Amino acid sequence: MNQSAAFAHTLQSWTSQLPILSAFPLWAWAAISALGVIFLLALPFGGLATYVERKIAADIQDRIGPNRVGPIGIFQFAADAVKMLAKEDFVPPGGDRFLFNLAPLFVVVGALAAFAALPLGKHLVGADLNIGIFYIISVTTLIAPGLLLGSWGSQNKWSLLGGLRAAAQIVSYEIPVALAILPVILISGTLQVGSIVEQQGWGVGDYHFWNIIHNPFTIISFFLLFIGGLAETNRIPFDLPEAESELVSGFNTEFSGMRFGLYALGEFVDVFVMSAVLTTVYLGGWQLPFFNIDQWVIPLPTGIVALVHFTVFMTKTLLLVFVVMWLRWTLPRLRVDQLMGLCWKGMVPLALINVTGTALWMWIFKGQSLMQLLAKAFGG
Amino acid sequence: MTNGMKLVLFGAEVLTVLCALIATFHPNVLYGAIALLITFLGVAVMYVFAGADFLAGAQVIVYVGGVTILILFAIMLTQWLYQMKLRDVGTKLLAPILIGAGLFYVLAKALLDINPKFLSDNAEPAQKFLMTPKTALLGEALLGSYLLPFEAITILLLGALVGAVWIARPR
Repeated sequence: MNQSAAFAHTLQSWTSQLPILSAFPLWAWAAISALGVIFLLALPFGGLATYVERKIAADIQDRIGPNRVGPIGIFQFAADAVKMLAKEDFVPPGGDRFLFNLAPLFVVVGALAAFAALPLGKHLVGADLNIGIFYIISVTTLIAPGLLLGSWGSQNKWSLLGGLRAAAQIVSYEIPVALAILPVILISGTLQVGSIVEQQGWGVGDYHFWNIIHNPFTIISFFLLFIGGLAETNRIPFDLPEAESELVSGFNTEFSGMRFGLYALGEFVDVFVMSAVLTTVYLGGWQLPFFNIDQWVIPLPTGIVALVHFTVFMTKTLLLVFVVMWLRWTLPRLRVDQLMGLCWKGMVPLALINVTGTALWMWIFKGQSLMQLLAKAFGG
Repeated sequence: MTNGMKLVLFGAEVLTVLCALIATFHPNVLYGAIALLITFLGVAVMYVFAGADFLAGAQVIVYVGGVTILILFAIMLTQWLYQMKLRDVGTKLLAPILIGAGLFYVLAKALLDINPKFLSDNAEPAQKFLMTPKTALLGEALLGSYLLPFEAITILLLGALVGAVWIARPR
């Protein structure tokens, strides 16, 4: 049933010959892989993303950006982390201490929990769940109550306005996001992320290629998912919950020190998760275009294949993260009514048309992609 | 099930019942809503252990991501939330007892009607049933043998949506 082995199984099989490590039970490997993904991938990404974002901003605005800590300022994020840890953990006197302390945890847990099902490579899936993609989009909804409760606990009108905006925005944009993933589920007939990636193929032989060019509707769906993801992660042009020019700093106005750090980390990790979902469902996940590393002339060891898969997946994902950061310094912020209008009058009807269109395409052309039809028409 | 899984399930059950009690009896309605959120998550964990994978995901996305947010929204638009003590002072006893007993009867009957094959932990059919992916089965059931009720519900929901837009229209 499982084409892609889970992380823990892979680790267990790799270490089965080693003296001490072979005695570890499966749950120990599961715990180790979970900690590894969090501390070696998610948290360093969150830290480095703050630095990269500032560098990109500087490049776009013709500045230098952070350049003092380490070569070209690369250790800036570590200095920031130390500063945040050393700051006073301040709770506003009129606020609700319990909710204020609880809220950032919801955001971080919601963003990190998605990593359990992200397919970083054929042998690098935390848990290849039957409902994988559905699990990812449902578990990231935990972020919305986090933003709402934190803003309430701050006892500050700007915070509360930001929190209410965040919750309304995330709940609304959940619908176009889910509808934009649905065409892929119609095409691959499964929710399992490993299987969705495998079915997209290499583009050679049977002309199975990435879902983004499966048919005209999936191209539109890809952009809908990207725009919806921007809105769900509160990124510009949809950063109304933070909106510096109107709400000071929105839902995180009263947060300082590491609790603010957790909010910022949660946001960046969420951007990564959204880009990873786009990569998985539309851009072929860990697969290189036109080149099948799994069935190369020389059979490669699993470790190297896993490394190539991981590199390909991260390259695609980080390119999307770069586009997200690029947009931040390019587009102005929307108004609230424009935001809701775009969602309910633009994206939701378009997403529904895409779902129906893809279903019709699958029915008329018996599930063949555009590329396969072209290949057949020109005798390929 | 292994002992570790049993422990996780037991923890989820205790948490669910505790948070359900808090949601019912806490005087501050905001804390009640948060306890309700954790109850919903606990129920999702139980669905996972019952082998209802799709239902667990739907539980999280609909109840945690949708319903709780709407409840919190409504609460946060209330004035003087922290000064307000919510206590039902009326002596409404008959109706709640009747509804509670009726619900208990339905649930108990449904539980007792389960095929005894599935009741023991390590019975093979039960294990096999737990590990089967349910999403495709659910889809085939909804668009196959239960098509009429499914369509009836969609029409009801469409009616509710149109009605909500009609009530909220600018006048």
